Amino acid sequence: MATTEDKPATKEKTSSWKDSIYNPRTGELLGRTASSWGLILLFYLVFYAFLAGMFALTMWVMLLTLDDYVPKYRDRVPNPGLVIRPNSLDIAFNKSEPLQYSGYVKHLESFLERYNETEQEKNEECIQGEHFLQDDTEEMTKKACRFKRSFLSLCSGLSDTNFGYSEGKPCVLLKMNRIIGLKPRGKPYISCAIKKDDPVQMHYFPREGLIDQMYFPYYGKKAHESYVQPLVAVKLLLNKEDYNKELTVECKVEGSDLNNNDERDKFLGRVIFRIKVSDQLPAHPEAAALLFTVNSSVYPAPALPSRGYTVSTSSPS
Amino acid sequence: MARKNCLVKNLEAVETLGSTSTICSDKTGTLTQNRMTVAHMWFDNQIHEADTTEDQSGSSFDKSSLTWSSLARVAALCNRAVFKAAQDALPILKRDVAGDASESALLKCIELSCGSVKVMREKNKKVAEIPFNSTNKYQLSIHDTVEGESESSYLLVMKGAPERILDRCSTIMVQGKEQPMDEEMKEAFQNAYLELGGLGERVLGFCHVFMSEEKYPKGFAFDTDDVNFQTDNLCFVGLMSMIDPPRAAVPDAVGKCRSAGIKVIMVTGDHPITAKAIAKGVGIISEGNETVEDIAARLNIPVAQVNPRDAKACVIHGTDLKDLSQDQMDDILRNHTEIVFARTSPQQKLIIVEGCQRLGAIVAVTGDGVNDSPALKKADIGVAMGISGSDVSKQAADMILLDDNFASIVTGVEEGRLIFDNLKKSIAYTLTSNIPEITPFLFFILVNIPLPLGTITILCIDLGTDMVPAISLAYEAAESDIMKRQPRNPQRDKLVNERLISIAYGQIGMIQALGGFFAYFVIMAENGFLPSVLVGIRLNWDDRSTNDLEDSYGQQWTYEQRKIVEFTCHTAFFVSIVVVQWADVIICKTRRNSVFQQGMKNKILIFGLFEETALAAFLSYCPGMDVALRMYPLKPSWWFIAFPYSFLIFVYDEIRKLILRRNPGGWVEKETYY
Repeated sequence: MATTEDKPATKEKTSSWKDSIYNPRTGELLGRTASSWGLILLFYLVFYAFLAGMFALTMWVMLLTLDDYVPKYRDRVPNPGLVIRPNSLDIAFNKSEPLQYSGYVKHLESFLERYNETEQEKNEECIQGEHFLQDDTEEMTKKACRFKRSFLSLCSGLSDTNFGYSEGKPCVLLKMNRIIGLKPRGKPYISCAIKKDDPVQMHYFPREGLIDQMYFPYYGKKAHESYVQPLVAVKLLLNKEDYNKELTVECKVEGSDLNNNDERDKFLGRVIFRIKVSDQLPAHPEAAALLFTVNSSVYPAPALPSRGYTVSTSSPS
Repeated sequence: MARKNCLVKNLEAVETLGSTSTICSDKTGTLTQNRMTVAHMWFDNQIHEADTTEDQSGSSFDKSSLTWSSLARVAALCNRAVFKAAQDALPILKRDVAGDASESALLKCIELSCGSVKVMREKNKKVAEIPFNSTNKYQLSIHDTVEGESESSYLLVMKGAPERILDRCSTIMVQGKEQPMDEEMKEAFQNAYLELGGLGERVLGFCHVFMSEEKYPKGFAFDTDDVNFQTDNLCFVGLMSMIDPPRAAVPDAVGKCRSAGIKVIMVTGDHPITAKAIAKGVGIISEGNETVEDIAARLNIPVAQVNPRDAKACVIHGTDLKDLSQDQMDDILRNHTEIVFARTSPQQKLIIVEGCQRLGAIVAVTGDGVNDSPALKKADIGVAMGISGSDVSKQAADMILLDDNFASIVTGVEEGRLIFDNLKKSIAYTLTSNIPEITPFLFFILVNIPLPLGTITILCIDLGTDMVPAISLAYEAAESDIMKRQPRNPQRDKLVNERLISIAYGQIGMIQALGGFFAYFVIMAENGFLPSVLVGIRLNWDDRSTNDLEDSYGQQWTYEQRKIVEFTCHTAFFVSIVVVQWADVIICKTRRNSVFQQGMKNKILIFGLFEETALAAFLSYCPGMDVALRMYPLKPSWWFIAFPYSFLIFVYDEIRKLILRRNPGGWVEKETYY
């Protein structure tokens, strides 16, 4: 009697864990029948649909309260940052190896396309030295001031298509971040310095690295569609002693009320970058392959990590 | 618990008490006062009732008969109990007595009704005595007579088992006059004895004889070892019966246990009839429920013919218990709702506890004696009596009733259930905030938006603002139905079940996450980064070398500038979680009742609400927080962003609980009542 009673009991225990996943007798999957699953999934569907609707509604209400032209709060961008083109904080190339600096050159060329004569014809010729204030009109679009490529003369890429990279006197362009309503006081200009015992000669284009007041204020993307930022080009006149050394260049916006020595943000009103020009002639095609090249990526998608450089060997093509 | 006179030795015991489904209680000293009290007397062919209340508030009986004074004299003289010294100021019932329970009862009864027993004993000094022995079942003593009471010099008084006393009597005293014993008298005696015994009382017979002066003159040397005097042909005086009355609070407590779904079983070493009588008096066997013997007696058929299924109550004798197999025991425990086990040995008490546990019950055992300790140890929770309990039982028990009050067990059950409920609430509250803490990171990875909630702010929630409200839920008062529910089934009713997870993670948590995300998008948008530009921007956003990242309005941001906005968003998300957690803690206060029914009497919770808000404000606005924790001050309007979602949580859960109350057993309860 006892044995036959025991057998079904043990059978039940071994099949119980399988039953908890799918129980063929009651038709339960993971402890619920199909209709039970159906009800609970329906509930969650309706519930989440309602929540999504509520979220969408609140978002829409919020977006309605926003102005199309000007952000509600601008207290987080009181001062502009300063960035360089080519878009790399570590510039290194061999002036005798065109492949190494072609990336930079192409980058600068494509960046300056907007500043071509043909493009800038559309813009206004503004009064220098004054903020270009414009009142709101019916259609809200604002006019932009011209900044022609020729203003950068030697660094414009028009006369020297290599932007000075082939002769070891590279050009670096500097631009200030756009900030809506920013009207700098004074006479802002860029000045660069290299940390070295003997100063390095630098050429600024436009003259004295001036950023004209007529390019301010910026009225925002929607109103100021054709706006172009004023640029300052600095040509580093490096000598033979300066080659094969890593030089740290610091460029600052001086002569105005813009903050350029913030403790926490190293890019407000200034930019620090490193440049290394080497002049070694390639001995061997394979030797050239062994030289490290810097991969510069084309603006505006920097897969570039911040201060390192990706290592790749150039294939002799 | 200590305030309610329950000493808890290990804290898990309280939770176990909350899930108790069966209480096996000892009788003497636990359910009863362990103070034998004279309840009835039989003399002059009549049953008289004595007052058994603890404070003498009952009615008195007629004391005019001479038979009564003789009875009183026998009871006072044939008695070795004495009051302990220096107690004259105390009421008689509260005085300490040196002597056994029955004799103490007699002593107190006589002292109450007739006056000082000491004086009586001094008047009739004891000359010889034969103490009680279990073979003879009587006790006798011989006393000097008082001057002028009678011609005899000596009075022999005897008390003991009624039938033994009756056998030794040839006459009986009626209305103070001695009459020969006849069949009618004997029958009257038998009926009275049966009736009093049927009430479960301990009955003692009393008789006396004035010893003849010729045979036993003054100075006679009575020999008690080799009896040289008459011990029969005595004059029967009367019967006195006593009972150990139940404690005043017990019937009420048993009733409460019943309605809480807890089965109360009496397990005692005492006589079955007494046990049954007390069980009926206390409510363990309720009105209208009969044992098989009761049914047999009522229908006048032999016990074997009664259908056992008809009897919901049963009284099991220890000798019968020995012969029961495990299955039969399980059968009895399963099919009867009201059970009394009488004449059980300590071993059998253990077997009973094991039987109950085999059926899946959580068993609480109450006891006070050494014989209860194995059962106390085996039980899921052992409860010992504090005052009258033996040290062994107190050691074996998990909980001690400091005032011996059985009713404290009910309090203990309520506390245990309350703790379990409040723990659930606290867990539900804490788990809910996990969703708004983890979804920001998920969306950061999947949708490539800037991180909405940072690590420091998550820690501020879990270790900072959520602590006090979560703990405050432990102080929540009981919801109204706590003692009307069935005990928890330990296999099925888990602390954290799918329904709790479903509510916390799937429903409330999601609403909270949406509230946080809404705050995030609002702040980003108001600073210039509309939602459309945020999607996919993550790699550029986190790139230190990109210092001209463009927003929706054409402005360009440096790394540090946009990071400040991101950290402001973290702070706002954190504050939004605090805001929605206000609503969460209020809804977690109750599982079934509405918050309006429960009230906001939990002061600690209210304090918690203010404290977490103050802490959040402090973390946001305190100067230096931007450097220390990277938490930035929020514009006042940003505090109110999550309010609609907070309100939604409150309304949603109130409606859910309303449906739960209106539709008990419905789908909502099945899927969401945790």
